[in-house]
Amino acid sequence: MSAPVSIYEPFRAGLPPLGSYLRSLWARRSFIAEFSRSELREQNYGSVFGQLWLVLNPLLLSGVYFLLIYIIGGHSDATRYGHLTASLFLFYLISNSLTGGVKSITAGQRLILNTAFPRVMLPISATVIALFKFAPTLLVFFVMRTALGLHYSWQMFWAIPVILIALLMGLGMAILISCINVYFRDIASLLPYMTRSLLYLSPILYHASDVSEKIKTLEVVNPLFYLLDAWSQVMVYAKAPDMYSLAHAFIWALSIFLIGAYFFLSRERDFAVRL
Amino acid sequence: MISLSASNSQNSVHAKHGLAVSVQNVGLTYTTSIDKRPTLKARLKSLGRGKKHTRVVRALNEVNLDVHYGTVLGVIGSNGAGKSSLMRVISGIVPPSQGRIEVHGSVSTLLALGVGFNPSMTGRANVYLGGLAAGMSRAEIDAQFDAIADFSELGDAIDAPMRTYSSGMYARLAFSVAATVQPDILIVDEALSTGDAHFKEKSLNRIKELRTADRALILVSHAMATIEDVCNEVAWLHKGKLMARGNPAEVIQQYREFMQVGKSAAANEDV
Repeated sequence: MSAPVSIYEPFRAGLPPLGSYLRSLWARRSFIAEFSRSELREQNYGSVFGQLWLVLNPLLLSGVYFLLIYIIGGHSDATRYGHLTASLFLFYLISNSLTGGVKSITAGQRLILNTAFPRVMLPISATVIALFKFAPTLLVFFVMRTALGLHYSWQMFWAIPVILIALLMGLGMAILISCINVYFRDIASLLPYMTRSLLYLSPILYHASDVSEKIKTLEVVNPLFYLLDAWSQVMVYAKAPDMYSLAHAFIWALSIFLIGAYFFLSRERDFAVRL
Repeated sequence: MISLSASNSQNSVHAKHGLAVSVQNVGLTYTTSIDKRPTLKARLKSLGRGKKHTRVVRALNEVNLDVHYGTVLGVIGSNGAGKSSLMRVISGIVPPSQGRIEVHGSVSTLLALGVGFNPSMTGRANVYLGGLAAGMSRAEIDAQFDAIADFSELGDAIDAPMRTYSSGMYARLAFSVAATVQPDILIVDEALSTGDAHFKEKSLNRIKELRTADRALILVSHAMATIEDVCNEVAWLHKGKLMARGNPAEVIQQYREFMQVGKSAAANEDV
């Protein structure tokens, strides 16, 4: 019986053999779960409310933005508040995976310099953490929308594909940005401005129908605009999303994911030298 | 760092004196960018000109080295000789720039730089994460965890965040992981020298226990006494080149003459 043989040869830019890469990634799936759990525990370590912050954070967040639109808009109704909360929660799924992903490689330096493993595990974990943070907000939202008296319908099952698209987009963005950060560290400082711009450019504080046709055309370049519009249609108005929005979001998500994954996988063997 | 490697180490049987690691013509070059004066002004001046101060560092230069099972190889050399780079290349962490490396068996690495993955997490979480990242299953780590915790003598501190650890505690935990996992090939990079006298003694004894015919050990150390005591072969690296390899006493003698250090207490000290 012979021992496993590993062979290491010079690095060439190009994809690693995908089959064995995915197999070794799958073999380490429990790392991703364990890492996400420890990370969440650690983030609230020593705070009075502990894991309760997972629910408190989104509640406080929507409260603050509610104040903002109430003061600016001077009025407020149930759907408007529902729209704001729902959109904000989904937006944070993506922005959390971006902020968690950006430093996932550079912060994992110790692990990367000492162990050989598929590096893409780190940005994937960032997205899983964002998902863990998103799940309780969904619960909060359903309690809230019942209290607001918004009606339910079967069409709301469209939420599932919308969440899946959002996850794919968040994952792609996390993978892409973590890789960019290895070569161009300035991206971490630019990121808060990028997410802030995305927040204001997307239909969160306002409805997609509020913007002029001209701006709506320009929003084609915003990956989140139609995704959030579809989300609001489903979650707040309990309607089927329009297919154009869904297709737009999916094409964006898939493109970002494919570009990010290609860029990452073809460079990752070079990371240890760059850290 | 705590790192364990690919499972199935227990079952694999190696031919006595079979090849464990084969390093063939390996070269490693790094390109590092150097900002002589990292000021905003200098940055603005160089921006857009595409001119960057870079320096190419040759960490390893045509290194050939075979390690057989049953060998305890000591790697010596001055600071910056390429010892740690060689260990990283063998562990598959850094790809070589030239040449080829074959590793027959599972590797557990205990490299000097960085023990513990995330200092804000507990020792326990770090042990699990290190093991899972290296490809062990949760059950395998569960089975070994108590032995690791016992060996490290950390007690309750295993459940405290690692940032509260002293450097000795870090090193103890890291050593315990690497030495408990029973890999085919164990690489220890200068991690034996931290820890108090009691733990040094204990880890040295552990290393001696691990010297079996079906295992290969590679120790990087500046402590000549330990190397001479534990190893049955020594390789001497200087500026990325393999200068000599062979009988420990002889190679250490050559190294000493080259470096013009006498058999002073300072060089012998430390485990």
